[in-house]
Amino acid sequence: MTSTPARRRPGPLPLVAVLGALPYFAFLTVFLILPIIVNLVASVRDSSGAWTLEPLLRLREDQYVSAFSNTAMLSLTTTVIGGTLGLALAWAILTTERPRWLRDGILSFSSVASQFAGIPLAFAFVALLGTQGMLTTAVAELTGWNLSESFRLSSFAGLTIVYLYFQVPLMAVLILPALTGLKREWVESAQSLGAGRARHLLDIALPILAPSVGGALLLLFANAFSAYATAYALAGGGANLVAILVGFFVSGNVMVDNSFGAALSTGMIAVVTLAMLARWLLTRRSTRWLS
Amino acid sequence: MKTLRVTVLLLAAVFFAAPLVASAAFGFSLPGQGFTFEPLQRATGNPAFWQQVGRSVLLAVLTAVIGSVLLMGTLLWLHLRARTLLPLAEGLSVLPFVVPPVALVMGVNLVFRAIYPGFLTSLLSLVPFYVVLTMPLVYRALDSGIRAIDLRTLVDAGTSLGAGRLRLFWEILLPNLRPALLAGGLICVAMVLGEFVLASLLLHNTYPVFLAQVGQDNPRAAAALAFLTLAGTWLLLAGFARTLRSERTRS
Repeated sequence: MTSTPARRRPGPLPLVAVLGALPYFAFLTVFLILPIIVNLVASVRDSSGAWTLEPLLRLREDQYVSAFSNTAMLSLTTTVIGGTLGLALAWAILTTERPRWLRDGILSFSSVASQFAGIPLAFAFVALLGTQGMLTTAVAELTGWNLSESFRLSSFAGLTIVYLYFQVPLMAVLILPALTGLKREWVESAQSLGAGRARHLLDIALPILAPSVGGALLLLFANAFSAYATAYALAGGGANLVAILVGFFVSGNVMVDNSFGAALSTGMIAVVTLAMLARWLLTRRSTRWLS
Repeated sequence: MKTLRVTVLLLAAVFFAAPLVASAAFGFSLPGQGFTFEPLQRATGNPAFWQQVGRSVLLAVLTAVIGSVLLMGTLLWLHLRARTLLPLAEGLSVLPFVVPPVALVMGVNLVFRAIYPGFLTSLLSLVPFYVVLTMPLVYRALDSGIRAIDLRTLVDAGTSLGAGRLRLFWEILLPNLRPALLAGGLICVAMVLGEFVLASLLLHNTYPVFLAQVGQDNPRAAAALAFLTLAGTWLLLAGFARTLRSERTRS
């Protein structure tokens, strides 16, 4: 084993090269990977430190099943509606030439609106649709119908509307590059081969776009599933969502049972990881055609 | 088709504008009094307001600086000396995407309460976790900046002309990477100024936590602050996108 290290040939990296990257990997290990691993381990150990599946099995109790299914339903609803509207918005942004100010304004807004989830957005919607909100009072004055009796922002429908405010622009921004990548020549070659508009859309555009659309939808789902601040500001502890429950376990009086709080958060990580993994598998294929 | 397109855009504009307009109208008025700054002044008159804004600004600046230094240093090193580690580094950089912030807090609590309880009581303990949360976006911004320049050639040319490492970095690489660094930094600032989950659950009183408390008993002040925050975030990010575009067209 006395051979001199080959210079330009890929092989084992010299130790110095690895050392230079060490701060980055060490940083991530301490502040991200270690917390994840400890969380996963805590969810399969009881308070005495013995291995057990009991905390994870408790997730099957009605209360927690309903939190998970409610979160999944909210995520799914905002993903499907947000995805559809976002796709339509992206198409309109891409194909509209005039009025330019409208298109550019919407595009500029869409690219930042995904950052708008959180406390300020919740209060902006309270100002619009809360019990004293501008739209609520305007509707009451005009028609005498009190909106707040049948609609609450903290309800499922209310949260859906607020979530759409960041899901729609997120979808539009995510799908714009793929829509732009649809090549003009493909329409022309399809037409010269005798395909109509609908045929081109169904047989060419959709199959090429499908992985990107699917990937974007999965990201929207994960985004809604992880959201905490918006729901917290609108519903306080009232929202039956997994993120809110985990928040209770971290801050509240229920901290006594570490392992069950960890199990809840493990469940959350599992759902989001599955969505992102599926997205990765899907989009890996689409980059070939759209680059 | 054309009317349909414009209709879609107009509907989107109405939906996007409605909460902003409502929060401005609601927050800068009082019943029977019309336009007034009174709700806003009552909130900003609270000494806690400026204190908590100050904390958020401090966290934002520290996160942007530490995140940029860590990632820029690592990325330059990997591109020049250890390219085989790049895929691993990139894979890890998107890991925060699969961990919801609230789940990260759970793990962080379990780890640091056990090994060093005093750590989490310090405000600055949020900085490393904010660096983690902003990492997926900052990593991409910096990495695409580095890939857009011919790093190897710049370094070789600089070295052959006798520039030392420090000079190479300050006078050749940094000016070329400025748009990417700006992009990463602004994303950091926007995210940290709005971050609520970690701050509230780890009991640190930052600006979003203040806003959440104001909303409990003074919805008009909360609406006024919400409007200013949303409009500010938009201007910050949109203004930045413009500088980035003009930098690109110039070079």
